[in-house]
Amino acid sequence: MTTIPDTRPPAQVATQRSEYPAPKYRRILGADRSQLLFWATIVVLALLVLAPVVPTLYQSVMDRPLYEEGGLFTLENYTRLFTEAGFGSVALNTILFAVMTTVMTLLIAVPMAIVVIRTSIPGRKFFGAAMQWPFFISSLILGFGWITMYGPAGFVSVQVKRVLGFLPWDLYTLPGMALTEAVALAPIAYLFCANALRNSDASLEGAAQTVGAGPFRILWSVIIPMLRPPIVYSSVLVFSMSIETLSIPLLYGQPVDITVFATFLYKNGLQSIDPDYGILGAASAIILLVTVLLVAVQAKLLKDAKRFVSVRGKATRPRLLDLGWIKWLAVAFITIYVVIGALVPILGLVMRSFTKIFTPLQNPLASLTMANYQRIFEFPAYAGSIRNSLIVAGVGAILVSVLAVVAVVVSKRSTFRHRKVIEYLALAPQAMPGLIIGIGLFWAFAFMPFNMGALLQGTIWAIIIGFGLRALPSAFGSISPAVMQIGEELDNAARVNGADWLKMFLRILVKLLTPAFVAAMVLTFVVMMKEYSPAIFLGSADTAVIGTTMLELWVQGNTGSVAALATIQIVITAVFVGVAGLLMKGKKDA
Amino acid sequence: MPDVAVKNLRKDFGGVTVLHEVSFTIKDGEFFTLLGPSGCGKSTTLSCLAGLEQPTSGSIAVGETVLVDDSSNKFVPPEERNLGMVFQSYALWPHMTLAENLAMPLNIRKVSKAEQKTLIHDALDKVGLAHLAHRYPHQLSGGQQQRVALARALVYSPKVLLLDEPLSNLDAKLREQARVWLKRLQSELGITTVYVTHDQEEALAMSDRIAVMSNGHMLQVAPPHEIYERPSTAEVAAFIGRSNFIDGTVVSTRGGAATVRLEESAETINVAVSEQAAAGDLVTVAFRPEKVFLTNRGAELPADAIVLNADIITTSYVGSRYEYDLKYGSKTILVDSTTGGLTGAVRLVVPAEAVRLYPRANVVSKDVAELMAVTH
Repeated sequence: MTTIPDTRPPAQVATQRSEYPAPKYRRILGADRSQLLFWATIVVLALLVLAPVVPTLYQSVMDRPLYEEGGLFTLENYTRLFTEAGFGSVALNTILFAVMTTVMTLLIAVPMAIVVIRTSIPGRKFFGAAMQWPFFISSLILGFGWITMYGPAGFVSVQVKRVLGFLPWDLYTLPGMALTEAVALAPIAYLFCANALRNSDASLEGAAQTVGAGPFRILWSVIIPMLRPPIVYSSVLVFSMSIETLSIPLLYGQPVDITVFATFLYKNGLQSIDPDYGILGAASAIILLVTVLLVAVQAKLLKDAKRFVSVRGKATRPRLLDLGWIKWLAVAFITIYVVIGALVPILGLVMRSFTKIFTPLQNPLASLTMANYQRIFEFPAYAGSIRNSLIVAGVGAILVSVLAVVAVVVSKRSTFRHRKVIEYLALAPQAMPGLIIGIGLFWAFAFMPFNMGALLQGTIWAIIIGFGLRALPSAFGSISPAVMQIGEELDNAARVNGADWLKMFLRILVKLLTPAFVAAMVLTFVVMMKEYSPAIFLGSADTAVIGTTMLELWVQGNTGSVAALATIQIVITAVFVGVAGLLMKGKKDA
Repeated sequence: MPDVAVKNLRKDFGGVTVLHEVSFTIKDGEFFTLLGPSGCGKSTTLSCLAGLEQPTSGSIAVGETVLVDDSSNKFVPPEERNLGMVFQSYALWPHMTLAENLAMPLNIRKVSKAEQKTLIHDALDKVGLAHLAHRYPHQLSGGQQQRVALARALVYSPKVLLLDEPLSNLDAKLREQARVWLKRLQSELGITTVYVTHDQEEALAMSDRIAVMSNGHMLQVAPPHEIYERPSTAEVAAFIGRSNFIDGTVVSTRGGAATVRLEESAETINVAVSEQAAAGDLVTVAFRPEKVFLTNRGAELPADAIVLNADIITTSYVGSRYEYDLKYGSKTILVDSTTGGLTGAVRLVVPAEAVRLYPRANVVSKDVAELMAVTH
């Protein structure tokens, strides 16, 4: 402990005192420059979010395409949607698919979370880390991988058929779609349950033990009831994600004519020669309504759930339960999920990319080839899609992260009257399916005054806006906790010391938020690298991204090159995340 | 340095009033403390002074400068107020060295580099940390951080110094030392200081004047001695130091004295009253444990002392004294004594000047009341 020093004699101190008056900040029409930033933020966000929504709603009640003169108000689109277009059966399919996906996701994720976080199985750390794989791999690639291995002509399927004489499963059905989707979404539900289990108070279990409860009793009476909030929340989340997903329903459902919301939009908007814009608008409006409602429910649940979680400053280290021989069952279950669900399909896809023919009937190593990659690099359109993806993800990551930082700080750390609105706007794209963002922005560009939309339509900027909008909520969500962790007194100290809000933001918060900003950039890069659905409507021949090119090659039957592109995308993502991780670690050590 | 004048300050948070029309004036160079339990409105008052909160109504002025005035819709933002503030968590910017922390307000004020250097050195020297100017805050102990925070608040010679529980994060021994040091520094600088604390000892030891706050009201504003000896309300008496409270009813008044019948025992006592009291008034009689003493029956008593008959139920030895819990009717009365070993029925002697009379008030919290009932 240090000793308290003597103070100087008063006379000497008094001579040093002279006035340093507080700074004056200029105001324009009564608003200071910080206010201008607040308004700029809300206007930019509102324009971005409303751009795809307003034209969609407008189109849904117009009797002809927006770009044609003399449109009249009508509700006929909605009636035609359910009569001619058969939207009713589409809705039924979608709900069946979403319910099955949700149930299967929970069946995978909840036991896994309990076993990995709370019991003493071997390889806990490894399994915990393995659950992060979907971060790198889009569900489109997962779908390709599954078809490559378990599809009607898949590597595994053929082998099984040879042994058994028949194939005991059919991937191209609603349950098949739901199973693949569940494998892709399980890690999200796992994450919520695992966090709840980690944060829960270990002394609750200790208390159960002291009154004589064994490990299974503790599991059943203490741990599982605690999981109710994350289970409810992640079910709603998974449900809404499977309602808007395009990839797997498109790959599995197209060949056998099973249509859900997203594939309905895809078919009516893109594949028909003369798209019926009224139907498209009405369908989009209904889907948007459903997803908005679901996201609202999520927000409500999350708020309620937070009230029940008691996060305490003191870290309690939970004791791990020993399940005896059952733990080997648990290990087997998790291994099956990781190996059969993710590892085999992805490795199969990589193998496929290096072979001419990929079947158990012939040793794949005998037909090794680089032709699949050659084809991609020979055609400028294919090679260009890789470059486009890199530009979109790179530029987008920077722009989205900057916007997200400003939005988070204004919404959490300012006295701006409409700061809540900023938060809602930044999170709103959660409720907007990628295809609808694509369709909506397409119409918005067509609709812009002075034909300004033409400057954007079909350019890479249109793609950046569309993908960026999709990535904004995750960037916001990743920066938000970092801001909350910075004590508000640091802001207040800067203000009292003479910094206005903007100066405080630039000199204090920006510096302290740099690590969170970099992390958000990495996250946004990966999200935008995987994204493709808005580009289906927004892209042109010159602005194809990896995802849209894969779809195109898939339709052409060029599965080898699809596998090659998928491999390239996975490698880019892994290398980027790896390098970013090293750089961030290096900085922390310095 | 100017006076700080606060008039009718009121703050509502979503329909709840946390500050009710508070008015006070702080004199030039005064050490003024806002004291009260958490949620009493003391921090809100300080935030309003600093400009971190915008009051719902009322006005604040420092000398001639009006900082807030609802009648002319004036609100000066914190950055333009030129006040110094030390925060409870010290709020040192972790990415800057001490020197950089202190340089920030000077940079904003466009002070020349050469002058900055002297000012920063002097300010750090004043708190005895000039040799650590190039360290980062996290490399310092809590006590050192607290002194840096003070140096940063003083480096630009602000008009008024605001201190938000600056000592509450220090450990007990250091806190007492820091108290003395801070008080001396303040009086040497002669800077008008507003100090917020919930620690009554701190407030009594350091302040020129204390404002006791509760539920958004200012109960009493007075020098420490007066606050302790002559609390203006039962709540102040309860919050500052320890007090015993016994309910009673005024039976009659004569001159400056009233006869009060105590509810617990129906005994009557004579009490000097300063304010108006009339027969039939419901009152609470208060006295402090250290102002009374215990005697055996038959011992000689000071003139006009009040004598109550009670029974000792527990004795606690707390080092410097013994504390006795006395059962008086259904009440528990706390008495300090230097003599140990007393038991059974005793006489409690309350000197007349130790008794204060208040309008009937319920100052004992429900939890405490229940706990006391249990011990019987």
